[in-house]
Amino acid sequence: MKKKKRAKIKIVIIAALVLLLLFCAVFAGVLAPHDPSTPNAAAIRMAPCAEYPLGTDNLGRCVLSRVLFGGRTTIAATFLLVLISFVVGTLIGIFSGYYGGLLDKFLMRLADVFLAFPQMVVAIAVAGILNGGLMGAMVALGITMWVSFARLARSHTASLKNEAYIQAAAFAGKSDLNILLVHIFPNLLTPVLTQALTQIGTTMIGLSGLSFLGLGVVPPTPEWGAMIAEARAYIQIAPWAIMGPAAAVIVTIVLFNYLGDAVMDYREV
Amino acid sequence: MAHLLEGKNLYKTYREKAKVTQALSDVSFYLDRGEILGIVGESGSGKSTLLKAIAGMLKLDQGSVLYNGKDFTGMTPRQTGAFLQMIFQDANSSFDPRRVMKKSIMESGRGKKDEGRILELVSLVGLEEDLLSRKPSSLSGGQCQRMAIARAFYSDADILLCDEMTSALDVTTQAQVVELLQDLKKDGRLSAVFVSHDIALVSMLCDRIMVMKDGTCVEEGDTLTVIKHPCVDYTKELLESARRQSIQEISE
Repeated sequence: MKKKKRAKIKIVIIAALVLLLLFCAVFAGVLAPHDPSTPNAAAIRMAPCAEYPLGTDNLGRCVLSRVLFGGRTTIAATFLLVLISFVVGTLIGIFSGYYGGLLDKFLMRLADVFLAFPQMVVAIAVAGILNGGLMGAMVALGITMWVSFARLARSHTASLKNEAYIQAAAFAGKSDLNILLVHIFPNLLTPVLTQALTQIGTTMIGLSGLSFLGLGVVPPTPEWGAMIAEARAYIQIAPWAIMGPAAAVIVTIVLFNYLGDAVMDYREV
Repeated sequence: MAHLLEGKNLYKTYREKAKVTQALSDVSFYLDRGEILGIVGESGSGKSTLLKAIAGMLKLDQGSVLYNGKDFTGMTPRQTGAFLQMIFQDANSSFDPRRVMKKSIMESGRGKKDEGRILELVSLVGLEEDLLSRKPSSLSGGQCQRMAIARAFYSDADILLCDEMTSALDVTTQAQVVELLQDLKKDGRLSAVFVSHDIALVSMLCDRIMVMKDGTCVEEGDTLTVIKHPCVDYTKELLESARRQSIQEISE
């Protein structure tokens, strides 16, 4: 009981920090001291000071403002991508695990095909074919992301469908859809949600990585990966321009990974 | 007049790669209203297969099952659930872990929402009504088994199929559940097929006994006749091992 309480406190603390992060991204328009896209010739590569707390980049744009607005792009794109993968993957996994047979074999072999290649290699190839852009990067990553959700949901469904309470629901005359929605989905939601939380970090790295390679968000739209890519050209002259977005990526990924771990710990206690 | 439940010449074979197991071979039985039929036999004798086949959880290779004279062979649990209910060995796992007991019981009513009837049934099985707002994990095995009986009655099913329903319970709880079933039987509310490997338990509760071995019925008759004058060696062995077990339990 004490362990459970401790695990709960851990979740609350990390969730509060995550909420703070989301607050900063959502209210970037209010919190940002400057316009993130307007160049300022008088403030090119300025070191951190009172007016520009994280300095400026080579176009004189406020790094802090761009980090805040970039958070909006990065976090929103990551959340949307994880949500779509979660929904698609879980649906495929549930149907595959519940009905089994040929449908299961076909869907799982399809998943194997997507798993046969490293995710980033597929993402780079697909993003290249789609000529980059935020949407292109999301499609490129999403093409393989659903697989982990599908496999997890499938294995849980396959074991849950043999539980006596599922058979009891069948005796109560419940339809397959009702059993899937009322009994199976709620009982596999926790592990799949935990997986979604841990996927947020990986997805953020993927999106920022594609932007860094020029296959994601196109400048001047502020995005953490793209900002790092731009700033690396003058890292020796103005290292602060890279430190802001890099720190933002690290903090966000660590927070979401911690949140995923904390939820997993809570479940296991 | 037709029997409440009847099985005629039932056959079922399991095939797994090269291994073929004859789980049921020419098994026939019947159950009349207000009667409890006990099916005994050691593990692998086919008693659980028979129960699953009746419930529609397994597809029979051959034979027919009838309810009030009407053939329902090939029906799924979704259809058979209208007139029969299964009580599982592990009662805790027969309730959705995320739902409170009341919701699970209500679900078996096929759209019927009669809270008064649920309270009546919970009291009938000897439980407090506050347990209805709890989840299965906070109930004991015996309490869950009683809730399972209440759920079966709420569904208005005519027949209960009890699959080793007391084997996961401790001796005291087992006795309480058997006592409850005996009371329900006295009231004439209960028609059930009771599967167990424990012939002593079956003889306390059932009107008739069917002894199964290797997928066939080796002996069938009134409880007293089978217990006092077993015809086949296998039944004698079952009775002897039950007697030895009770002596061992008493000496322990």
